[in-house]
Amino acid sequence: IRIPFASERHAAIAKQVIEVDKELQPQDVKRDLSVDGGTLIATFSTLTVRLSRLTVNAFLENVDLVVRTIGEFGENAENGAAS
Amino acid sequence: MPGKIRKRSPLKRPERPYIALGLEGSANKFGAGIIRHDPDGAMTVLSNVRHTYITPPGEGFLPRDTAQHHREWSLTVINDALKKANVSLHEVDCICFTKGPGMGAPLASVALVARTLSLLYNKPLVGVNHCVGHIEMGRQITGAHNPVVLYVSGGNTQVIAYSQQRYRIFGETLDIAVGNCLDRFARVINLSNDPSPGYNIEQEAKKGTRLLPLPYTIKGMDVSMSGILSSTEAYTTDKRFRPNGPRDAEDTDIFTPQDLCFSLQETVYAMLVEITERAMAHIGSKEVLIVGGVGCNERLQEMMGVMAGERGGQVFATDERFCIDNGIMIAQAGLLSYRMGNQTPLAKSTCTQRFRTDEVHVAWRA
Repeated sequence: IRIPFASERHAAIAKQVIEVDKELQPQDVKRDLSVDGGTLIATFSTLTVRLSRLTVNAFLENVDLVVRTIGEFGENAENGAAS
Repeated sequence: MPGKIRKRSPLKRPERPYIALGLEGSANKFGAGIIRHDPDGAMTVLSNVRHTYITPPGEGFLPRDTAQHHREWSLTVINDALKKANVSLHEVDCICFTKGPGMGAPLASVALVARTLSLLYNKPLVGVNHCVGHIEMGRQITGAHNPVVLYVSGGNTQVIAYSQQRYRIFGETLDIAVGNCLDRFARVINLSNDPSPGYNIEQEAKKGTRLLPLPYTIKGMDVSMSGILSSTEAYTTDKRFRPNGPRDAEDTDIFTPQDLCFSLQETVYAMLVEITERAMAHIGSKEVLIVGGVGCNERLQEMMGVMAGERGGQVFATDERFCIDNGIMIAQAGLLSYRMGNQTPLAKSTCTQRFRTDEVHVAWRA
């Protein structure tokens, strides 16, 4: 799955935030997260299609939350400490 | 014995104001709070905003839906808290979040937001124990000096006392929390969950008149709640149960949902008062601090007050802003910890469903 971000910094933030939590079934799901320019690349390997669906669904929910948080606060964060 | 020797607090007055954002989401409430610690020692609540996920009557809240609620509401609540406090995230010193205990998926959702904000604004993260948050906010708001703490909520039931930089658990529930027992019974009789099932049980109990016998299950310093729940539920299948009141004037040997609420409350609260009293007697304390969502209950406060009064002591309790899960308590406990030099590195900012109250090193107290 490739997800574009506004900047490399934002993609890196998303990667760092999501990779902290281990997969719920680390023995059955292999996850690889990397950043290429402004794109977050997530690669999943699972034994069953069902597990793929569950894993990707959870991942996308998390990415959505991170994206919305960056969307809400990213600009303010970059503009620096202006009172 | 509580020390008659005055020990110096390791927490020194700050040389400048410190501000912390606290994010809480271990159950069905999402809260964001902002607190400021001033050089004169004052600790001020700048804002405390919360949104609760309320399920229809007869239904409890499940982790998946609760996490979704938090994902939907967290940014709005955080923005609201910042606006009310008139503070920007650039000004906060640390971002505090509930590390545990609680429900896995909701906790994780909040942690994701906390981490993102931490990286965006380059602020340190502080993982906080939910129970310690309740205790620290209770101490701060009420000014209780060194109380026995009764922490009662939907997820936790513990009797706690402070000793040598740990909040020690003196007694607790052996199975489910008292709030969980009340909430689940509320579902059985189809009470509304708005604003909370416990509040509605309290209102119904006021209309009850018949005290039905229920098991009184104290085991030493601990309590057990699941048997009481089963017994109360069993009463609803009794042929004397009248969900809508007496059928006619001759229908006398009956009981109503109000009577069951009344009996349940009286029994479980008496048990809680007893185990609290044991701890008080054991350590010679004269103060009781009630924290946690069930602490809002006025009947519990009243019963505790009677016991404390008989011992020449007093009860401290807070109102629903601080009793019920909130973000400000996480900010408070987090900032105290941060000021003692503690922070949570990103790689360690995972959440955990089980996190014992006495695992926390209370560095900010003597």
